Formats: sequence, C-alpha cells, structure tokens
Amino acid sequence: MNLIENIKMAIDSIMSNKMRSFLTMLGIIIGISSVISIVSLGVGGQNTITGEFEKIGVSTIRITVKTAEAETSDYITYKDIEQLKEKIDYIKYASPIKYQTGVASSERKSRTAMVYGTNEDMIYIDNTEILYGRFFNKIEFEEGRALAVIDETAARSFFGTSDAVGQTLNIGSSSSTKKATIVGVTKSQFEMFGSMIDEEEMPVIIYVPATFLDRLYSKESRISELYIMADSKENTEAAGILATNMLMNRHGNRDRDVYKAENLMKQLDQINTVLGIFTAFIAAVAAISLLVGGVGVMNIMLVSVTERTREIGIRKAIGAKTSNIMFQFLTESVIISCLGGIIGLILGIAGAYLLGQLAGITPTVTPQIIIVSIAFSSAVGIFFGIYPARKAAKLDPIEALRYE
Amino acid sequence: MIKLENVVKVYATGEISLTALKGISMDIKPGEFVSIMGPSGCGKSTLMNILGCLDRMTSGKYILNGKDISGLSDNELAEIRCREIGFVFQSFNLLPRMTILENVELPMVYAGIPRKERRERALAALERVDLSNRIKHRPNEISGGQKQRVAIARAIVNNPSIILADEPTGNLDTKVTREIMKIIQQLNDDGATVLLVTHEPDVAQYSKRIIQMLDGEIIDDYMVKNRTVF
Repeated sequence: MNLIENIKMAIDSIMSNKMRSFLTMLGIIIGISSVISIVSLGVGGQNTITGEFEKIGVSTIRITVKTAEAETSDYITYKDIEQLKEKIDYIKYASPIKYQTGVASSERKSRTAMVYGTNEDMIYIDNTEILYGRFFNKIEFEEGRALAVIDETAARSFFGTSDAVGQTLNIGSSSSTKKATIVGVTKSQFEMFGSMIDEEEMPVIIYVPATFLDRLYSKESRISELYIMADSKENTEAAGILATNMLMNRHGNRDRDVYKAENLMKQLDQINTVLGIFTAFIAAVAAISLLVGGVGVMNIMLVSVTERTREIGIRKAIGAKTSNIMFQFLTESVIISCLGGIIGLILGIAGAYLLGQLAGITPTVTPQIIIVSIAFSSAVGIFFGIYPARKAAKLDPIEALRYE
Repeated sequence: MIKLENVVKVYATGEISLTALKGISMDIKPGEFVSIMGPSGCGKSTLMNILGCLDRMTSGKYILNGKDISGLSDNELAEIRCREIGFVFQSFNLLPRMTILENVELPMVYAGIPRKERRERALAALERVDLSNRIKHRPNEISGGQKQRVAIARAIVNNPSIILADEPTGNLDTKVTREIMKIIQQLNDDGATVLLVTHEPDVAQYSKRIIQMLDGEIIDDYMVKNRTVF
C-alpha cells in the first residue's frame, strides 16, 4: 500500500463529490487567501515606508529646538548652519526648515499651501528627483531671491502642465503676497498615496529660500528645525552629537537642554514596529477563519467516514490494516486542505495585488509566506483529519459490513 | 488446514450475555468443500466471522494452516484476511466507485503487490470466472450474477488457503445460483478449500460435506450423498 495508491484513491473520492469537496476547501481558501493578502500588503507597506525613509536618508538627523523651554537666543541662525558645515567634517549637508501655511495662486487657481523655507542643501537631504529646471542655489538663498520649487501635482494643478519652470506664483498670507518664479519642478511628493487621494486634494508644498520666506512674512530668522546629513551612515550619530555640542557652545546654553537630535531611522523602526503589530493582528484574525475552515474539513471527513462505513468494512475484510484505512482518510483531508491552500495562495496573491493597486502599495510576496501557508494548510489537514481518520480505522469490520 | 477446538463466543451487551457458539470443534482438510447449515440465529454467521478472522472468539483454539490465530493482533488478523482468506458475501460488497478490474486488484494493493503483477493476476482471476470482457465497467452496470463472479474473482486473486462464502447465492435467482455454484465447484476441483454458509439444502447439495448447526452447537456432520455435480 503506497503513497501513490493513497493519493489516487483520495483524488477519486474528492472528485466523486466535487461540490462538497469545493465547499469544504472554501474555508481553507478564504483563510489562506486573506492571511496571504494581509501579510503581503503589510510587508509591502513596510517596504514602501522604509523606501520613503531611505530616500530621505538613513544618515539624516533632525535637530529641533525645544520651543517650550527655549529663549529667543537659543534659536538656530543661518550663521550656525554655515559654521556647522564648515567646522564639522562629518556633516555633508545642513538645511533649516521653516514653514508657514499660506495661500498660493496662479492665474488659473488659488490654493492653500505649505510654504517651506530652506536652503540649497535641502534637495540632497530630501533626495527628491527634479523633473524640470533645478533647485535654487547658494547665492539665490543668500540673496533671498523670490524663487520657488513645487512638485508636479501642484504644477499641474496651478498651470495645467507639469513643466511649470518660468511661471510665477503669488505666495503669501491673505493680506500680503509676493510673486515668486518657479525654477524647478520635483517628482510628486505624495506618490506613495497614489490614487488614494485626488490630485486636487493633495497638499501643496512649496519650497522657497528661507531668506525669502523671512521677507514674505517679515519675521526675524528664527530657526527651530534643522536637518543635517552625515557623510556616512556610521558617522550619523557622531555628527548629531557634535552638531548639538557646537550649537550649545555657540549659544552658551550648555546648562539647559534645549536641542534635540533624532535619527529618522529610529522613527522608521517605530513605525515599522507598529505596522508589524498591526499586520500580525489582522493576520491573526484571518487565521481564525483558517481554523474554522479546518473544523469544516473535520466535519466533512466525519460525514464521509459515516457514509463510507460499508466501504471501510469491505476494505478491512479483504485485508486492509488499521493503518491503511487511517492513512487513506488522512491523505484525503490533507489533499483537501492542501488544494485549498494552493488555491488560497493564488487568490491571496491576486487579491493582494488588486488591493495594492487600489491602495497604492506594492505587495511583497516572500517565499516564506508561500512556504508557511502551504505548510500551515497541510498541518490543518493533518490536525483536523486525524480524528475522523482514527474513527474510520477503528471501525469494527463486522459492524461496518452490516452498515446500510 | 482448519482446526477448531472448543470455540466459544459470548456476546455481552450490558446485563444480558448471549452465547452464540457453545464449544465448536471441527476439522477441515485441504481441498474440502463444506457447507455449514442451520436456521438463522444458530451461530453459523458468527462461526464464519471467526473463521474469517473478522471476529475474535471468547475462548477456544483456532489453528489455520498450523498457525494459532487466537492471540493475534488486529493487524496480524488483517494480514491473514489479506493472504489466507477469500470472502464472498451475500450482498457482493463491491466498491461502487471502482471498476471491476480495480475491485479485483484491491486485495493485492493491500498485499503490496506491484501494479503490473496486480493487473495480470486480476485479469487471470476474471478469466477464471468468465468475466474478462467487462473489466472497465462499474459494479452498478452489471447484473447480480456478474457482481458475484467479480466478488469470487476478488476472493481468489491472492490465492487464499480458504474461500469463505456467506450465503453467496442468497440474492440470486435459481439460474444464476447454478452458474455461481458451478464456478465455486470448479474452484474446489482446482484445489481450493471452500467453506459455504447457507440455509438452502439445494445449495448445500453442491458441496461434499455438510455441517449442521443449531443453537450454537454442531448437531450433525456428514458427507453429501448424491452430490449435485455439473
């Protein structure tokens, strides 16, 4: 009595009850496919976020001034930034970020916008691709020229074309605005949201020289947020420490702890942990349906054993051992669950790509997911098949032969 | 070949216990053709089940081919059913989803015989019962007489020591009964030991020896005179 005979018998039996076998599999199919789609989307989402963060750079540190405790003299100045770059070898780029919510308008349209004031280094720190034109340069920053860089969705919204280089935009508060010339258009900032948000609904972000922003809002150059990028991943931590040290020296506030340096990778780890827990939780809920599917397999196998009592009796009378009968029914339940697992796997991957398309996430299907799901469905088949199979194997041949 | 010594079978269901066999002793030699007769409830089916290793006796001794069966495990009994015993049932007991050929091959599957040899031996067995032309049909596509012939082919395919036939003609008409009995007689002529349970004197008349049972005891054991022979 070999495996091939058993598999052949099991398939015969499954095929002779196609509808019932399919419905039994359905539980497993739903369970496996939902676990697969959720996990693939979860991992895909993590990869997307990691990618976004890596774009910003693993060697980037954000230094902030604790505004609640800071005095006016503690705020970072443009001079500080210059000095940081000059004196600390580890620092490759340093950019301030100041932002104001304002209004931006073209001839076509007027929209609320986030106006980011920064310097020429931001393009390297942000690592966004420039599609048309260029980012403003050092001289333009120092002179506080009225220039702006926007992303392509904003360009389309304001000018009806992606290539908006040379166009002008009125930027400012509702009371006073200034004309700024577009010098560059970057790739969309919110690409990761894909089609989830309508283009016209996406926030508008405008990069301008921080010095121009100061003119625009007639404010003194107080900087509370600064990004620095180290020359390598290894030197990142050190660059952060050196930078805060230098700031404390320059501002003479060593006694007060007003500067905070954060590595963005740490935040990424946190986000990924949260996302991982979230994915695991939903997957666990989906796995419960797999358990329910397993109970379905057991139920049908029990019915099958009862229905085939006489067959079992005949097989025993002509020489089948207990183990033969046991193995026969176990093979059947494993094949049902495995087949369900394979169908579920295919549907799950398909579902993940379909949902991913809608959500703008590229699902990641790892070999581990595939192996685990197939192994798990086989395990369900064995676990829930063993009781019916034992029941079949233990039948008394005389009783079984008498069964009508 | 078969030796029973004081075989007792007691069915105990709760408070009530029923003694189906009250100390049966018998001796059956190779090549014999024995009918076990008696009214229903006399214990002949119980005896058959014990002889066929489907059931265990309460006490006594059963020696088959020089081997003591009494203390064997379920799996050892299955092994004996597989190799030493060929069953023919009143209700044929073919597996409906399998073809005739597959039904006949099945005992050899459990005996671990390779596929090719199985096919050859199954075809040879079907040849012996004169049914080699319908091997791809399923049991519900053939007549009762043909079903019983398939069952006989299945019973002989592993070359068992004895063929146990439990009312093999009980579901068949007179004409078909004659056909089946002819085949069984033929098998016996070819050297098979046959044990037949029946309550029809006509059918018993085909055998060589009759054991008469009543209330779990053997009341008569005699050689058949004027045996019906084809």
